[in-house]
Amino acid sequence: MAIEIHTLPEHMPNDALRYVGKPVNRVEDPALVSGTVQFIDNLSLPGMLHCAILRSPHPHARIVSVDVSAALAAEGVVAVISGEDVKRWCVPGFTAPEGWGNYCMAVDKVRFVGEPVAAVAATSRYLAEDALELLHIEYETLTPVCNPEQAMAPDAPVVFEERGTNVMLHRDYTWGEVDRVFAEADHIISRRFRWNRVGANPTETFGCICQWDLADNSLTCHGAYQTPRFMAIGRAASLQLPANRVRIVTHPQGGGFGGKGGPRGTDIAALLSRKSNGRPVKYIEDRMEYLLAGGGQSWDRYYDAALAVKADGTVTGFRVHLVDDQGAGAEGYGTISAAKPLAAFTGNYRIEAASYDLTLVATNRAPTYPYRGYGPPPHNLVLESLMDCTARELGMDPAELRRQNFIRPEQFPYTVPSGNEYDSGNYEAVLDRVLEIADYPALRARQAAARAEGRLVGIGVVGTVEPGVFDWNAYATVGVPGVGVPEGVKVGLDVFGNVSVAVGFSLQGQGQFTVAAQVVADYLGVDMAQVKISTASSDVALPHFGQGGSRLGVAVTGAILGACEKLNAMFCKVVAHVMQAPEESIVLRNGRLYRVDAPEHGMSLAEIAGLMLSRSDLLPPGVEPCPEATYVWTSPNRNAPDDQGRCRSYLTAANATHVALVEIDRDTGRTHILDYCIVDDCGTRLNPANVEGQLQGGVAQGVGAALYEEYVYNDECQPLVSTFVDYLMPTIHEVPMTRKDHIVTPSPVSPLGAKGCGEGAMHTTPATILCAINDALAPLGKEMLETPASPHRLWKLLHEDQATSA
Amino acid sequence: MSSKQRIEVRVNGTRYVREVEARLTLADFLRHELSLGGTHVGCEHGICGACTVLINDQSARSCLTLAVQADDCDITTVENLRNPETGALHPIQQSFVDAHGLQCGFCTPGFMMTTLELLRENPDPSDEQIKEALGGNLCRCTGYQSIMDSVRLAAQRMKSSTLG
Ligand code: FES
Ligand code: FES
Repeated sequence: MAIEIHTLPEHMPNDALRYVGKPVNRVEDPALVSGTVQFIDNLSLPGMLHCAILRSPHPHARIVSVDVSAALAAEGVVAVISGEDVKRWCVPGFTAPEGWGNYCMAVDKVRFVGEPVAAVAATSRYLAEDALELLHIEYETLTPVCNPEQAMAPDAPVVFEERGTNVMLHRDYTWGEVDRVFAEADHIISRRFRWNRVGANPTETFGCICQWDLADNSLTCHGAYQTPRFMAIGRAASLQLPANRVRIVTHPQGGGFGGKGGPRGTDIAALLSRKSNGRPVKYIEDRMEYLLAGGGQSWDRYYDAALAVKADGTVTGFRVHLVDDQGAGAEGYGTISAAKPLAAFTGNYRIEAASYDLTLVATNRAPTYPYRGYGPPPHNLVLESLMDCTARELGMDPAELRRQNFIRPEQFPYTVPSGNEYDSGNYEAVLDRVLEIADYPALRARQAAARAEGRLVGIGVVGTVEPGVFDWNAYATVGVPGVGVPEGVKVGLDVFGNVSVAVGFSLQGQGQFTVAAQVVADYLGVDMAQVKISTASSDVALPHFGQGGSRLGVAVTGAILGACEKLNAMFCKVVAHVMQAPEESIVLRNGRLYRVDAPEHGMSLAEIAGLMLSRSDLLPPGVEPCPEATYVWTSPNRNAPDDQGRCRSYLTAANATHVALVEIDRDTGRTHILDYCIVDDCGTRLNPANVEGQLQGGVAQGVGAALYEEYVYNDECQPLVSTFVDYLMPTIHEVPMTRKDHIVTPSPVSPLGAKGCGEGAMHTTPATILCAINDALAPLGKEMLETPASPHRLWKLLHEDQATSA
Repeated sequence: MSSKQRIEVRVNGTRYVREVEARLTLADFLRHELSLGGTHVGCEHGICGACTVLINDQSARSCLTLAVQADDCDITTVENLRNPETGALHPIQQSFVDAHGLQCGFCTPGFMMTTLELLRENPDPSDEQIKEALGGNLCRCTGYQSIMDSVRLAAQRMKSSTLG
């Protein structure tokens, strides 16, 4: 039976939607504000031990010897593991590109500062940490490679000996006639950019409790897991267990943003449990471990990029050359972050040809991991900064240059040169609205007045496309094959008409439980209070992915609609049988099934569920006594890529334009954000308050990346960041209270017309702020092409002339 | 290393007498000895504010406080906000829910305890005063705007409830 997934809220069988599209309170919140949610560190299991991990102080060194005897004899210590155990019991974790992985703990040599070298399980965390001091590791240091230039030099030391090179991957994509458009261009605008490492830093670090059942040879892991099933498969592979013997129980998480880590900590705790005769072992990463080498470092990039531009401002070509420092291994799936820009390579524009030369390099920095946005934030910063450079060179207004190059509303669905198809949009309407709420002419007047006083005030106007609802096909050409990403739910009713929904993921902050409850309540016409959403553990959950790639809100909506459609069909059948009416004459509407020709003859959902569960004698043949349905949704109409990576990958293309007004303090180099406006279009807003929260949260992270946050390494590849005193997270004083509005262009292809919206603000904010900074610097003839544009960096730029003339 | 000291604390009105190691942090004591898991730990070095509790009505970072330092003190944690009889949320909690002042909720207990102290001392804070009070708490999810709204709403509600 083909199931039709509704693409507009008004298609649902309900005349008066009560929840979808409204900023309803979240079902997650009462427990969260009460402090009763079971974050992983709030769970204890009987007999539980605590893990502490000893980490490498060297970026590159051979392990000569490991002596664990004193630690093993220490108070409270039950087990110690080191590289020897790991070598015996494990294989290196999955990576992309393939074959650049580490074991969960260093074997024979260490490749980065913070790499686990040994771990202790003891009766308390305090005692476990005491025992770390009794571990004796002898190292023979090796020369580290600190950056891609060193890594690619002839005779460079190699991070992975078996590979013989530090180049993990080189790919060269060409889309359209790039050489021709550059040859025919009137202007070629090119720049080099440097994006320094930033990362997710959720407020809760990673944690887990692992228990190895030695009799059953199975493993149960409770923890803060973003992608439970994926995690289960990965653990099965690295720990060499059958996949159906690994059970992941995911707990609510204190944020994730892609950079939660997990595999290494889980494997280490699992091995300690195995060595402790099956006692549960808890590992809670601390913030210093997270900052040093958790899953929280992303995007260490060197760009060389150019636009081909005609005399009238038409942009015809975009060339990007990227060298990406992946750090010591590809365990964080770095190819995905390098390849994701393919989904919206040329942004909002009708750029006809493009090319992308990307090189991923291994160094002795910590391995990089996903972070919200997953690649486009730096990419968009490059594209949008070049647009501003073009406007300056041509003497055009940057907003008007963009408008001139926008994809026009009548051109959708629009296939970009890099292959993805944008479903819908109206970029000009978004731009017009944001210029209106920002009062752009007044901002320019304010800027002119400030400039006349010698102040450095600048404006950024930046629009981006947010590819939403990720699909594996986007990454197939860089080593992560597949088409489709299943997301499954089960929807069931009890005899009282309450609705239970089982999903494969847990809370992380985006409010997907609320969205699920809104959709199911409106479809079935019940009160949201009658709906209960719960997380199924990975062994019993339907195929699922969970949070990631601006996908889950849309995907879970699709899955719920699918399951509800199945319930609808089944209930109609039951009611028709009971009423001895033709099936086609029965409809579900406003929470009741009835005969269209005689609406007074009907049944409530509770009556139907009760009948199905307790009167098998009344059921039509072929209908099971089970008022439940499952549905596993994946994006419709996806295809495999060609050799240039072109395919219909991300299902939806949301877009937004941000306007920022900033002032740089000449004396301190500090950038103050004076005003910040956003207009976005993510189609149907299933819960507008959730969307707003995603936008504002993305702005905050964008401000951090643009101005403050940086994982600094010194010349010896030693990280200089290990606390929040060094890694500067934006506080309420740094984040602008933005003014927002939106327009709505429903997606014609997605469930209820909603578009992925979790990453757009992070895609746009760093570029907007950097463009505003460069606009402020323009009268000085200076440019800042490195992030973060920290006070220190800007101060140096402003005062470099004095330094050289002195 | 494990010489223990006897402490007596009152947490949310209940008296506890315990033998603790001198090095045990107040956060670990509350969370793991008393099973009051609502006080969260985000950095353990005094920057994020997730662990904020009130000690004798003053906000404090429980990760930087040793349990022994809290001897003979009155401690208030997030678990004390709800009405224990009815389960009704405190106006601060309800305002965070209504104004969508949280996403993952991990930082929220810290923000709410900081807000409780602020509104006790200054029932009608200006935006600048709210920012000043919350400037030591990190939230990675919300971008703070809805937290501002939540605190404004809480102030308004608590004022009208004391007036009324
Ligand atoms: S945990 Fe105490 S301030 Fe961060
Ligand atoms: S709500 Fe997640 S850190 Fe504040």
